[in-house]
Order: sequence, then C-alpha cells, then structure tokens
Amino acid sequence: MSDPVAVPRSKRVVIADDDDDIRGLMTIAANRAGVEIVAAVDNGKAALDAVRAGDIDLAVLDISMPGMNGVEVAEAIRADDLTRSTLILMVSASVQLLTDHGVVADRSDSFIVKPFSPRLLSTRIREMLELGEPA
Amino acid sequence: MTIDRWLSRIPIDSPSAFMKQVPTILGFGIAAIIAAVPNGVPITNGAVFVAGIALVTVASILSFVVPWRRLHPEWVVVVPTLSLLAVGLLRLGTGSSASPFVVLTLLPFVWIASEAGRINILIAALTTFVVLLAPLFVDGARNGGDVVRAFFSPVIYLIVAVVVNEIAHRMRIQLAAAHESNEKQDALLAQAVSAQNELVLNEARLKTANRLIQSIWNAVTEQSVIGTDLDGLIDVWNPGAEKMLGLTEKQVVDGKHHIIDFHLTSEIEQRLQDMDARFTTVSSVDEFSALVDTVRAGSADVRDWTYLRPDGKRVAVQVAATPRLDENGHRVGFIFVATDMTEAREFARLKDEFVGLISHELRTPLSSILGYLELMRDDEDAPLSEEQQQYLGVAERNAHRLLRLVGDLLFTAQVESGRFPLDIKDVELGGVVSASAESARPVAANAGVTLVSDVPESPLVVRGDTVRLGQAVDNLVSNALKFTPSGGTVTVSLRPDGEQAVIAVTDTGIGIPAVELSQLSQRFFRASTATRNAVPGVGLGLTITKAIVTAHGGRLDIASDEGVGTSISIVLPVETPQPVTAAIPRAEMAP
Repeated sequence: MSDPVAVPRSKRVVIADDDDDIRGLMTIAANRAGVEIVAAVDNGKAALDAVRAGDIDLAVLDISMPGMNGVEVAEAIRADDLTRSTLILMVSASVQLLTDHGVVADRSDSFIVKPFSPRLLSTRIREMLELGEPA
Repeated sequence: MTIDRWLSRIPIDSPSAFMKQVPTILGFGIAAIIAAVPNGVPITNGAVFVAGIALVTVASILSFVVPWRRLHPEWVVVVPTLSLLAVGLLRLGTGSSASPFVVLTLLPFVWIASEAGRINILIAALTTFVVLLAPLFVDGARNGGDVVRAFFSPVIYLIVAVVVNEIAHRMRIQLAAAHESNEKQDALLAQAVSAQNELVLNEARLKTANRLIQSIWNAVTEQSVIGTDLDGLIDVWNPGAEKMLGLTEKQVVDGKHHIIDFHLTSEIEQRLQDMDARFTTVSSVDEFSALVDTVRAGSADVRDWTYLRPDGKRVAVQVAATPRLDENGHRVGFIFVATDMTEAREFARLKDEFVGLISHELRTPLSSILGYLELMRDDEDAPLSEEQQQYLGVAERNAHRLLRLVGDLLFTAQVESGRFPLDIKDVELGGVVSASAESARPVAANAGVTLVSDVPESPLVVRGDTVRLGQAVDNLVSNALKFTPSGGTVTVSLRPDGEQAVIAVTDTGIGIPAVELSQLSQRFFRASTATRNAVPGVGLGLTITKAIVTAHGGRLDIASDEGVGTSISIVLPVETPQPVTAAIPRAEMAP
C-alpha cells in the first residue's frame, strides 16, 4: 500500500512505516517541512524500490517492518553506489533495537524514538536536508 | 545340679581356707568313727582325744568364718597349724606313738608347707616335730626305735616340707603366668571381637553410603557429571551425561573419549585466545587447558559452553569444573557438572522478544495518540476553544501517564535481564535536584502542597547518568507529593556527607507502616496507606529508583512514621567507579 503525495519540492523524501497512522503522522510532519514525499510505504521492500527508483534525498525508515526491516533497507541503500548518498533517518519505538542493530553509528544519519513530536520530526527533516526555516 | 556343675564351682586353683580344711575334717570324722566302733582303735585318753576333736573343730570353724583373704592371707596358716596340733592330741588320745591316726598329719602338713613363704617350711616342720615328739615326752620311749623314729621322721617331714613348698611355689608362679596369659588372651579376644564388630559396622555403613551415592548418581539425570584424569581422558560418566550427550558410559570409557571431543572447537579456541594471545594453534593438551586453567589455578570454574553430541546436535550448557581429589587431597583429575541451559536461554530470548514486542506494540499507538493530539493543538487553521484545549490536555496527560508506565515496565525488564544502559558522565547534582523540584512545582501547587528545594550553592558532582538520576529524584518527589495531603510540605534537599552526596526527599504525608518498609522496593508493592487512601500508582517507582541508585554504587535509605511523614534519601558516592554497563547513545524523546 502506498500513499504518494504529489507536492513537488526540491528535496525528495521516502517514508516507510507499517502503521498507517504513524505513517500519516510522518507524512504530515514531512509536508510541514516542505519536502516532496515521493513515496510513503508500509514495507521495507517498497521503500528500497522507491529509493532506487528516484533521486531520493532522505529516507525516513521505521525499524520494525514486516519482511525487509528498516535496518536491512538502510544496509541496502548504503551498499548501492547509486543510493549511498541518500540520507537515512531511522525511527523506532525501542531504544534497545536502535542499540542492538548499531544503526546510530553505522547505518543511519540520524534517528528518532517513538513517540515523537510531529513538530520535532519536521524540524529534524529540515535540519538534515539543510532547508532552513519553513516559509 | 550335676557333679560337673558342683565341681566347676570349686575354685581348685585358689581354694578357700574351708575347702582346704575339708579333707582334714573328713579325716577326723573317719578317725572318730573308727575310735567309736567296738574293736576299733581304742581311746586311751578320752580327755586328750576330745581336746583333739575340739581343736580341729575350732580350726574348722575359723577356716569358715574368718575372711582370710581380706585379712592378712598369710595368717590362714593358723588353721592347718591348729589342725596339726589337733592331730597330735588325737594321736595322744588313741595310743600315742602306736596310734594309726598319725597319718592325718599329712593333710595339714601339706597345707602349711604349700603356703607361700619359706617360713611355712619351718612352721610345718616344727609343728610336725611337736606332734611326733609329743608321745615321746608324754609316754617316754618304749625302745630305741621310738627315739630314732621321733627324731628321724621330723627331719624327713622337713625335707618333704621344703620340696612341697618349692613345688607349690613353682606351681603358683606357673599358675600366675597362666592367669596372666589367660587375661592377655581374654583381652586380645575382646579386642578381636570389638574390631570384628567395628568392621561389620563399618562395612554396613559403607554399604549404606554406597547405596546412597549410587541412588544419587542414578537420580542425577538432568545434569551431566563427567570425570576425567589429569589429561582430560573420561573415566566417569553419569546417567545425566548419557541422556545429554547420547553415549553410554561403556561407549565413552571403552572408547577412550577425551572431554574435548564433546566441545565446540571454536569455543575452545576463543577461550584459549582470551586466556593468552600467544595461542594461535592449539594441541590437544592445550585445548584441555581452556576447560581447566582456572581449576588448575585453584578455583572452581563456572562457564557457559556448548556441548557437541556425536549426532551433531548442540547443547547449550553451563559447566562447573572442579578438581577431583584422592584420599590424600592430591588432584587426580577433574569433575565437570553441566546443566542444560537450552530452555533457560530460550526463555531469556523469549522474554527479550516479549519486551521488544511490548515496547513496539504499546509505544506505536501512543505515538499516534500523542502525535495527532499535538497536530490538533498546533492546527492554526482551526484553533481550539479553551474548553477543547482543556479536554486535549487531559487526553495528553493520560497518554503520557501511560507512556511512563510502559517506560517503567520496560526499564524494570531491562534491570531484570541485566541490561541496564547508563550514560556515565560528570553529573552536577544541584542541577538535577533543582530541575526535579521545578518540574514538580505545578503539581505541588495544584495539590496545595508546599514544595521546598534546599540545594547548596557549591556544586556537588558525581559520576553518573544525568537522565536516570533525574528519573530517580523525580520518582521520589512525585511519590512524596502523591502521599502528602493538602497543606503539607515536601522538602527536597541536597547535601554533602563526607565522601557521599545525599539527596533527601522528606514529606509530611500519610507515612508507611513500619512493617512494610522492607517491602517498599519490591516490584508492584504498594503500602497499605497508599491503597487505603486511594493514591494512584502501580508500585514500580521505588523499584526503579532503587535499581538506578544501586547501579550508581549508592543506596536508598527509607525512614517513615505513619501519620507523620516519610523521608527517603538517595546516598551516592562522590567518586563512583567506572560505568557499570556500556553507555548507549541517548535518543531524543518527545516532550
């Protein structure tokens, strides 16, 4: 399932979370950051496909997803020369998961823990993409 | 009673004086009878005859009534001496030198001569001399032969007395020796019997002990017990090992298996590398060192290993290795007792998995609730009324409350599983205490409780995790406010105390019964005063606070007086040792 949002922006973002409501929250936060949401998907495979398909600046990835999890998606993005430059923002409800997988140090550029503030997520996205304050 | 039994009662080797007198009594009896019968031996002097009978009677009575053995035993010779003199009188009364009763002389004579002591030779000889010479003095010599016989006979008696005395002396020595020998034999026999009894008893004990050991040995089926020699060759293999590793004792012992055969090579090599970086290639003997190095150094060793069964299956075990000693205490091998940890490790894995699941499944809907509530509050296009803002505030507050509860549960699970993440840095406690007090001030104001913060101006720094220490103080302040009725006071203070820093949270609340103080830091325990007063909570706050304080090398002191108030102090060492666990990066949390 995907919820493409056709808001053309210069920075292209892919969002992945298997929970519809959280994904919706991420989408709203990303919209408020003023980025183009190329894809908002509910699984890792679709997220990786979306990153590989386009020139994506940032992937917001939940760790716990069925099939391919966020860590595996991040590894695949890092392993591919074409997608290596894509920034990765990891999201998880478990600090332990973030620690166990070493994602903070090795596989992502930043991370955020659930429950997150949409305001904080929006700010984080703008900071990562160096967008400055919203218009 | 049979004759044998009668005879057995007669002490032949040490007869009493009366027993020795019996032959003399019999002799005198026969003599009296012979003298009394018509045409028998004529009584020539009735008075002397009767005197003789009377004297021997006196001697016999003395032999019977006097306890000679308890008096001086040598005085018993009085009895035969009197008897011998009585024979002399009997002889004088029945024809003097012609009397046939002279033969009675032999009986007391032999008795006297056989008594211990050379003096008795003299007594026997002299008394006999008197008896034999008496007729000569009373009647005079009838012819020369009488004179010769009167003097010759005593000399012969003297010689006989010497011989009898000597023979008796030697017999007594032999008898004493025989007695001594008998006593020794009896003692030896008693010792032998005692030793035999002890042996039988020990054998019975040994059999009991063996049966007990065998029963225990057979009962240990859930743990493997493997014994080896000093080089690791297996010679002991219990039923538990048979069950765990799938080989019988005969197969293992006859097959000369080494304990290393049942270990994963990779684990052994890893252990050797941990022990000493020089180990790059390992021989069989070196491999065994991986298992017993600590034991050889004198300590028992408990370590996690993986056993490898002959069918290729692996068994996660915890092995306790100890020395095997002989009767002199010398090490002759090793004992390895292994417990199958497969289920325990699976349980720990499931528990971790469950904690992770809870973390995700509870936090995710809370993320949605809090996120969308925030969106509603921030929606500039449709601003909320004041009443709606208030409702939203209630919803947010309760969502955060639920979030805290989930966090507390997860934290408790982390503490239990030994994974307690601490981010150790220098922590200025004044700031921590002030922040806790300030954040609690709105709650205190709502509750009508005065909140006093007493923090020294000079900084007080400890090594610790700022967030966790803040959480600990927050818990104490939150508790104090919950348990203090309106109008009361809660004081949170910080003070140095030697090498320690003390954060004390004191209230004028409902207090805790003394009998419940020791249970306060148990999970889910709630004081009876809390439940009685319907104070909300689940009983995790103090558990978590104690865990945090303990992880910082500190302690929690609790004092309370029901109806008066409670004071709980966090006592922290100013110089805390290095981090207890590895620090993890701190994630940013939603407000």
